[in-house]
Amino acid sequence: MAKEKKLEVKDLVVSFSTVDGKVQAVRDISFDLHKGETLAIVGESGSGKSVTSKAIIGISSPNALIESGEIIYDGQDLLRITEEDFHKIRGDKIAMIFQDPLSSLNPIVKIGTQLTEAMILKNKASRKNCRKEFNQMLSDLFANINKAENNANVEENKTLAKKFDEFNIVAIDLENKYNASVVAGEEYLPNADDLLLKAEKGVKADFVKMSKSFVKDFAKCQHEYFITKETIAPIIEKAKANHNDKNGFSLDVLVECVKAGKEAVLNAQKLTKPNYFTIGYYVYAHPEDDLSKYTVEELNKLSRKVLDDEFMLSFIDKAVIAMKQSDKDSCQGKRDLIDLIANHRHIFEKETLDKKECSEAYKTLCAGVEASIDKLVVVKDSLAYTFKYSFKGAIDKYFDAVKNNPKEQAKYEKSKAQWEKLASKGKTPDWKVTPPAIIDLELTRKTILMIFDRLVAKYETALQDEAYDYQQGALNLVEFFKEKARGVVDVVTPARARAKALKLMEEVGIPEPAARFKQYPFEFSGGMRQRIVIAIALAANPDILICDEPTTALDVTIQAQILELINRIKAERNLSIIFITHDLGVVANMADRIAVMYAGKIVEYGTDKDIFYNPKHPYTWALLASMPDLETKEKLEAIPGTPPNMIFPPIGDAFAARNKHALKIDFEQQPPLFKINDDHYAATWLLHPDAPKVDPPRIVTQRIARMKAKNQELQRVANIEEVATAVEEKPAKKAPAKKASKKTEEKGGNQ
Amino acid sequence: MEENKQVILKVENLSQYFKMGKRYLKAVDHVSFEINKGEVFGLVGESGCGKTTTGRTIIKLYNATGGNVYFEGQRIVAGIHDYKEAIKVAKEAYKAKVQQGIATEQDKIELAEEVSKQRENIKKAKYDHKYCNRDHARKCVQELDEKWLPILQKAQLKHGVGSDEYKKLHAQYKHDRRVAKNERIVNKIQMIFQDPIGSLDPRMTVREIISEGLVIKGVKDKELIDQQVYDVLEKVGLVAQHANRYPHEFSGGQRQRIGVARSIIMKPDIIIADEPVSALDVSIQAQVINLLNELRHEMGLTILFVAHDLSVVKYFSDKIGVMYYGKMVELATSEELFAHPCHPYTKALLSAIPLPDPDYEKTRTRIVYNPLRDHDYRTEGPTMQEVAPGHFVLCNSEEKARFIKEIEGK
Repeated sequence: MAKEKKLEVKDLVVSFSTVDGKVQAVRDISFDLHKGETLAIVGESGSGKSVTSKAIIGISSPNALIESGEIIYDGQDLLRITEEDFHKIRGDKIAMIFQDPLSSLNPIVKIGTQLTEAMILKNKASRKNCRKEFNQMLSDLFANINKAENNANVEENKTLAKKFDEFNIVAIDLENKYNASVVAGEEYLPNADDLLLKAEKGVKADFVKMSKSFVKDFAKCQHEYFITKETIAPIIEKAKANHNDKNGFSLDVLVECVKAGKEAVLNAQKLTKPNYFTIGYYVYAHPEDDLSKYTVEELNKLSRKVLDDEFMLSFIDKAVIAMKQSDKDSCQGKRDLIDLIANHRHIFEKETLDKKECSEAYKTLCAGVEASIDKLVVVKDSLAYTFKYSFKGAIDKYFDAVKNNPKEQAKYEKSKAQWEKLASKGKTPDWKVTPPAIIDLELTRKTILMIFDRLVAKYETALQDEAYDYQQGALNLVEFFKEKARGVVDVVTPARARAKALKLMEEVGIPEPAARFKQYPFEFSGGMRQRIVIAIALAANPDILICDEPTTALDVTIQAQILELINRIKAERNLSIIFITHDLGVVANMADRIAVMYAGKIVEYGTDKDIFYNPKHPYTWALLASMPDLETKEKLEAIPGTPPNMIFPPIGDAFAARNKHALKIDFEQQPPLFKINDDHYAATWLLHPDAPKVDPPRIVTQRIARMKAKNQELQRVANIEEVATAVEEKPAKKAPAKKASKKTEEKGGNQ
Repeated sequence: MEENKQVILKVENLSQYFKMGKRYLKAVDHVSFEINKGEVFGLVGESGCGKTTTGRTIIKLYNATGGNVYFEGQRIVAGIHDYKEAIKVAKEAYKAKVQQGIATEQDKIELAEEVSKQRENIKKAKYDHKYCNRDHARKCVQELDEKWLPILQKAQLKHGVGSDEYKKLHAQYKHDRRVAKNERIVNKIQMIFQDPIGSLDPRMTVREIISEGLVIKGVKDKELIDQQVYDVLEKVGLVAQHANRYPHEFSGGQRQRIGVARSIIMKPDIIIADEPVSALDVSIQAQVINLLNELRHEMGLTILFVAHDLSVVKYFSDKIGVMYYGKMVELATSEELFAHPCHPYTKALLSAIPLPDPDYEKTRTRIVYNPLRDHDYRTEGPTMQEVAPGHFVLCNSEEKARFIKEIEGK
């Protein structure tokens, strides 16, 4: 899997100022989230899981202090962008499913309105945004072309740009129409099955009404390349005549019609799909030509050829020229920037920084970075884009500290003197002296230098590997344009939003969505409310989904449904998910990687297999030991005591006090993250080479052994099946896999 | 399971309907089961299937619509719906006969007999439902009197009426009599609620919360109350100092322990635990389950454990009942149920359990239950039938044959 990083959290520290003192909720955690993976964060309540997720989505409570760290998404540092910018990300790009469904729904607004509201608003914004990005990229592209050609054919290029823009929109319009009918066909199938089942089992139902809705639904499938009018019309006529018949309604006729309709849809799904990107161009360029004389295959071939000959080849050639130019510029920019940084470095290497000098350096360096960014590369380079923000943040922090440190120190001295005065009188004050919040100037200065070093190192490696595939880059650009143009054309009307919402409600398992659409949140049970919340989060089609204990309040069947739903949507949309939970069973199902958190720190970090089959941290052992599975007989090993008070976090390992295997050093010094393999890290002194060897609790080792034996057995059975079927009949390729899974299912039921 | 176990709670055709406009919502519909003394009975099903309502109806928090609940042989819950229905059916049958013109004098007499019989039943049911506590209290008082009166008489003869010894004994007798008078049979069944925060009054100290039951019962001796409160606090793993605190000063697990303490101070025979661990963290869950397990062995408790987490239920229960939309669909010992699930809904439920095993999870496929597709009840409706010793399934005869074959086949 290509590991494209979607989200990076670096050295995040969050604390809360409360009456009793500063609660250190999250203490220096870092993790990455890759594209299309699920990262599970596991821990007890109060371990800082939710605080982390809230910091990511920018809804930390008002008394939260984000002391340091970076959260990088799409080239932006989410901790430093303005609220205005965050509006574009929150809910749209990063969505969240909350723990408590009741508090995240508005009690006085109907469910339907709540579901569609965001869809309509976000659609408006995203269309604008897509249009902007499309135009920006196109103008960047042609600016580069013009530069490369020394403004030789400006007019020609302009028409080319215009052409691309216009034909793309025609194509997408056509494609939307086609997709609507395909989707209608997909929706029709389960309804048809349901109706046939009811008719077969003789269930009492309003079949006349069903017949009417069948006619309505089925008519939507009509499209010249999907189900043609000739096929659809007689079926609909027949059904209509049937339910309009005054002599009485015949169920048999309806069943006949539905069966015919089902067959038509199934047949239509096997047809070749028209390639609308090329057809769109053909329609745009040759509006006089009659398309109906071609079959789909012919049309695809013809339009492809026309597009390539008349437009695309020249466009790609131009794009390649532009990319070469832009790459050349950006390489130059990078080299310049490296020099610039080398020149300006001395300003920040001084003992004390000068404010004026710094702000000037900031301006020149930011301009340099801006020039070094290759704008035509679709995947954004997070370091270059965040340089500005992290640099500014560090400078601001430094000068704030210069201003505030003496004040803090004075405050501390004052309160300390007061305390001592009272103490000398023999009284014990009921308040405590809070240590001064002094920011280390030296450290901040080093951070700035580190920001430089990181960027320079990155650019130097980038300059070394020159081989860039321009052809591929140009194709990527075309894809980018296609996607953005789709975003522009994709209008969500209230009616369409309603249809989409109803479909979503059905997807998340709400029966009779049409009736439920008009109800208020209090009319739903807890599980139903949670599903609504999930539907709302999914409605925006986000990039990253944060699930904060989404299934804790639900029962097993619904939980399984919801997890399946999230997994399916993840696969379909290539979503990245951060999944927060304390239920390890759920984690095993969902996660690709797992981070175990305790007292604001990540204590173990690894792939699902590492954590479940080879856990290393005593806390992970304790979590695994305290949950019963289906074969547990012996007494559960509960974790004694409660998590530590985070106003006064322990000096050593936070888990030491509740840990049977704690060493002496655990109480004195915090363990670093020990590396076990490339993906697996754990923060425990037990992994130190000098530490005594401690085995996980028996309940855990036994379970792991049992799981391994079971999986081997399953594997063996699957293999036997596969061999057997392969011997019996060679061409049946899919059969073994299916059989194996069926066997698994039975086995699962037996446990 | 041993054969000579004594049945402590018997639930018979229990129904609980709620009125929703003109229609009835059948939250619990003819559910029957028995719990033996010292056993843990797990009740599972998805949310909204009537598990909690069953528990609450048993403890008389709702008035049952139909069916009976017997506690140690004494009927404590009785509904009248079934008898009314019987009268209706009989009357309609007679009416139909009259319309056809084949009704005889004999039919009329039979109808009258049937109606009077059912009315008698209704009367009895209403009486039992209302006065089961009074009868129990009277019995308790009688027993107490039988025990105390000879002692008092002896003391009177020995010391005379005015003497201190006699007065002391008399006061003791008066106190016990008051307690006995307030004795209610349903107090022998106690409940632990799901939400530890919602079920504790934030304005009462832990001492007040735990001792409330005793106070209502009529115990006035402060020292006795304190002693008992400290005892139960110790039993559930808290300390005596905690008695003066308020609920908000405790963590989630400790709050649930207070809930447990509140229920065991009444020295119940049965505890109805309504999802006691669903709202807790895994590590705390284990603490509470261990606690319940210890108490159960120590005090000989019988527990009706309502939950939706099947791994916990499997770990904790001896017998399991699976409910689906107000109906009990399968009932068996926990080993048997997990080894040979018969009803398609049970299979669906078992296939949905997530396990802490990533390799297994990747291959696990969930079975979907669709009543319309999985059953064919056009010719014969389902009834509760025994497919193996102690294993009951809601099915018709055709399905029963299939289930028996499945069990034997395995």
